[in-house]
Amino acid sequence: MREYIRYFRWLFLCIAVLALVLIGIEGGHASRAKARYYERTNEACRTDQRVFDYADVLSTEEEKELEELIAKRERQVQCDIVLVTLEESLKEYAREKEPSVSYDQFVRVYAEAFYEENGFGYNQPNGDGVLLVDNWYREDDGRIYTWLCTTGIVKDAYSDEDVDHILDRVYRDIEKDPYRAYQTYINDFYDDMLGSRMFHADVPRALPLIIGIIAAVIFIPLNWKSRSGSNTTTAKTYVSGGKEQFVNKQDLFIRKSVVKRHIETSSGNSSGGGSSSGGGGGGSHGGGGHSR
Amino acid sequence: MIFKCRNCGGNTVYEPGRRKMYCPHCESLDSEDIVREGSVCVCGNCGAPLTLNQYTSASKCGHCGSYIVFQERVEGAYEPNLILPFKISKDVAVELLHKEFNKKTFLPSSFLSEKSLEGLEGIYVPFWLYDYQTEYDFVGEGTRVRSWRSGDTEYIETSYYEVIRKMEADFDKVPADASLAMNDGEMDLMEPYAYQELEGFDAKYMSGFFGEVYNQSAQELEERAKVKVKNASEALMQQSLNGYDSVKPRAKNINMNRKRAHYALMPVWMYLYQYRGKTWRFHVNGQTGKVVGATPVSKEKVFAYGFSVLACISVISSLAIAILEVL
Repeated sequence: MREYIRYFRWLFLCIAVLALVLIGIEGGHASRAKARYYERTNEACRTDQRVFDYADVLSTEEEKELEELIAKRERQVQCDIVLVTLEESLKEYAREKEPSVSYDQFVRVYAEAFYEENGFGYNQPNGDGVLLVDNWYREDDGRIYTWLCTTGIVKDAYSDEDVDHILDRVYRDIEKDPYRAYQTYINDFYDDMLGSRMFHADVPRALPLIIGIIAAVIFIPLNWKSRSGSNTTTAKTYVSGGKEQFVNKQDLFIRKSVVKRHIETSSGNSSGGGSSSGGGGGGSHGGGGHSR
Repeated sequence: MIFKCRNCGGNTVYEPGRRKMYCPHCESLDSEDIVREGSVCVCGNCGAPLTLNQYTSASKCGHCGSYIVFQERVEGAYEPNLILPFKISKDVAVELLHKEFNKKTFLPSSFLSEKSLEGLEGIYVPFWLYDYQTEYDFVGEGTRVRSWRSGDTEYIETSYYEVIRKMEADFDKVPADASLAMNDGEMDLMEPYAYQELEGFDAKYMSGFFGEVYNQSAQELEERAKVKVKNASEALMQQSLNGYDSVKPRAKNINMNRKRAHYALMPVWMYLYQYRGKTWRFHVNGQTGKVVGATPVSKEKVFAYGFSVLACISVISSLAIAILEVL
């Protein structure tokens, strides 16, 4: 056992240091949250409910747990956190409000109206907060749309890239485990609001395991070698005086041949591509959407 | 024969560290007397019967622990011309084994245990050392190629040469072990020995060690030495052909004339390790300390260590990603 611990001491130490760093960062978030804490000042909000599971994708127990988690996180980030799940076409509703609105914006229209009608906002009605609308209904274009509506300080804090990232993370689990996906939305929002949002790579959940397997696959053959002792003699090891004698050594030139080859020159074309990105929403709300 | 201490009567042995005869009982140095008693059947010290194979020339009495050199197997036709005394003691050989194998991750834990290493024994292995005079005639066609570019044309010029070589080389003491019990490949890997420390045979160097007489004659083993000489000659000839891009041999002829074969005893520490019903052999050159042998692999360790690496790296990756995410 001692041998085993000694062998892996650096890896264990590395794990311990990283775990401490993670605890330290989380601790930093918690103390920052404590330092900026103030009581909710929005008295005009029409409801205390935060989870509206109209699509019925969550159990009662899950809804309750999400409500509790939201209550805790709201106090820490001083923002309202709202979740709405739907399973209905928003085409008529959205086009009534904005006649030329496109399919991907239906959820935006709904989210902004829902936020405003309920008077959400931690500091004031239509104030600081975030709302996720996940509409499970497949619209005419065959897609399911989700929208993250940001308001107040959240609108200022969240760039298009940040919105994309959090929705990517939510979408990672949404089909298999909606409860876990919505938990990710709440917790990531907390980390985003208290952290610097430096890292935005959408890392597959299995990546650490894949890295571990690759490391083990390299480690085992690398340490498998069991043979010791290689040939350490040379051609001259047993030659008397260490030197052979060449009593005849001739290199006689016979002939020469030259081959010519024409080198083809070619000119190449290059092409480039472009990328575009877009965001949505105007007025007092920000945010962005995803579809699946 | 047994070497006994004239001060205390204990069995004196050759001590590689001191390069002297040493009495482990009274710690006297060079106090040995030769006692020519006993035979290959009985111990000359205690008279206990000895069980030996037909090639044993030096052994240890299982009853009294005395080291015995069998006179009739180190004289006459069996008298070695040369002996290379042990230069490395048992303690140093153990240290060398530790140094060599300590970092082998999948080595069974008992491999380097004190108990396992107790069985390490010093053996004088019989060798034939051959002297050869060689002549190597070579004729071939060599080519040198150079290329250059001018505008959009590439030129490749090939020059052809008649290559003639006549090489003479004397090979001294090319070794081939004459013990059937020793693996030829392992014994070849023990090379090279520093021949300047070879000495005329003296039986006292064998006291404290095991030994064998040659199991095969110089004639029988000559082919092994010839292969070594031929390979070395080919390599030397090849070195003289450097500078050519290719050489096509047209005629080559190697003449090897054996001048002499020396019968010599070479020092080898041997460690036999039993693992899962199989015996693993390890050898340490008793003069240079070179270690030769293949270790067994513990499947339990492969599984445990492999899984630990997988788990640790996965956890480290997860933590690193989590840190970046919450930053």
